[in-house]
Amino acid sequence: MKLTFMMLRFVCLTLIMVHYSCEEIDPNEPGALVPKTVEQDLNLPSIDVNGTKLHSESFGDPTNSMVVFLHGGPGADYRNAIAAKQLSSNGYFVIFYDQRGSGLSKRHKKNSYSIQLMIDDLSAVIEHYRTSPNQKIFLIGHSWGGMLATAFVNQYPNKVAGLVLAEAGGLTYDDFTKYGESSKKLNLFSETTNDVIYVDQFFTGSENQHELLDYKLNIRSSFSYAEGNDEGIEGPSPFWRNGAVVLFALADIAEKDKFDFTTNLNQFNKKVLLLYGERNKSYGLTFAQKEAGYFNNSQIEKIEGTGHEMFYFKWDVIYPKILNYLNSLN
Amino acid sequence: MKSKILYSVIFIITMNTYGQNINWRSLKSEQKHLFTINFGFDYASAVGLGYGYKLNSNIPIVLNAEMSMPFGQKITDDFKTKIGGQIEVLHISDFSTTIKAYSIFRRNGSEFNRLLNFGSEFSIVSGYYSPNWNVAGEFGFDKAIVTHVKHSDLMRQNNPDLKNGWYIPTGGNFSLGIQTSYSIGNNDLSLKLGTLIQQDLKSKPLLPYYTELAYTKRL
Repeated sequence: MKLTFMMLRFVCLTLIMVHYSCEEIDPNEPGALVPKTVEQDLNLPSIDVNGTKLHSESFGDPTNSMVVFLHGGPGADYRNAIAAKQLSSNGYFVIFYDQRGSGLSKRHKKNSYSIQLMIDDLSAVIEHYRTSPNQKIFLIGHSWGGMLATAFVNQYPNKVAGLVLAEAGGLTYDDFTKYGESSKKLNLFSETTNDVIYVDQFFTGSENQHELLDYKLNIRSSFSYAEGNDEGIEGPSPFWRNGAVVLFALADIAEKDKFDFTTNLNQFNKKVLLLYGERNKSYGLTFAQKEAGYFNNSQIEKIEGTGHEMFYFKWDVIYPKILNYLNSLN
Repeated sequence: MKSKILYSVIFIITMNTYGQNINWRSLKSEQKHLFTINFGFDYASAVGLGYGYKLNSNIPIVLNAEMSMPFGQKITDDFKTKIGGQIEVLHISDFSTTIKAYSIFRRNGSEFNRLLNFGSEFSIVSGYYSPNWNVAGEFGFDKAIVTHVKHSDLMRQNNPDLKNGWYIPTGGNFSLGIQTSYSIGNNDLSLKLGTLIQQDLKSKPLLPYYTELAYTKRL
């Protein structure tokens, strides 16, 4: 019994030492584990639309044709695609925004999200920046951003002058499921997978505990570029902050409602540009052709030497392709 | 520096110790030492070693320590050590109830951070125990009391203003499962299966189940 008491005493003393010798940080403190959102740091560029506050920037002459970039995720941010602002020097008014609950935009409760709300936000962003009723609107969507852009076009086929889809991860629930199963394979004995799941015993967060949940998602983003990943992602790319709650909310909604963003695409007659990375084994020409098949008019371009994160790793390759496409419709 | 010394002390103390599933009815009075090797999924795929020492006491008490490491290319960047004990608090006929309590020290290293955590684990195991086999239910709570976060250079490149330091509190997970064992001579083979849920009783870990296959040698 003496040994037991000695051990207990040691553990207690250790914990007391740790407790009193170091500064305690509340994991919910804004800016501690993850950067502050536009709601917490008013110096960040933002816009107030549709009942939320979005992290947003614009580049170029506001009277030019508008190009809105839609980032992936859901929940990610536009940081790794900021090179696309180069289009502003080619006569386009380029808009970036972190979607609701994503990146540095304001966080909301899980039960407040819906796909329709994300579409309405995009409408509101366009209206916020629009300077004339005849201003042409082009959408560039990467991954989930391509799905959202397509959902918008499906609902408003006459509002958009052109659409660029960079590996949209499924325009119907079935396609989305197939892409997810193919691209997110777990090897339960790998270092990366274990790093990603081991953290659950260090940090747990309740449903709307954004700082903690976003931090865990930030750490887990390393899974996407693990060695040998099927999406051909070369390595890490910069990000500000991932939005876990919006990701979980939209994933739950997708599973429950089985979305289909293609029901009205036959009303959209503009040519669509589809980009796919040569190294993304889960997407490839076959998936691009399937997604192109939902549109009346499409053009498919392979981006050599890269995978899913083509905007960060091969912007110099996709830039002329996007510019030529936009110029052909402007 | 302070955290490095602390980390080294805890690591050295705990790496020679570990804990087990014990069938009190198969444990003979002269047997004092229990050596275990286990494999399973405990938040990640992991292998572990354990040691138990039975005290000379009227009530069955075993002091345990264990260490486990998840699979992966880097051997020592992730691990969990536990030190504590278990005591049989109720024994009626072939039915028995055991309470376990452990202090935990664990580490997780990734491209984005290094986490050091002090925690505690309490569980209760109750079921049927014969000299050759047992089956029991298990309920436990693993509390992550305090976690030291050190953001990596990669994370700081993304966001330079993030704070390194001790974060309190950081969470906890409940576990609920069953365990069974079969004994031959001085050897026990045991299996644990169960589910995990976070302390808000709504959210689940990415790997919401645990399993453990263990072999124990009693001496």
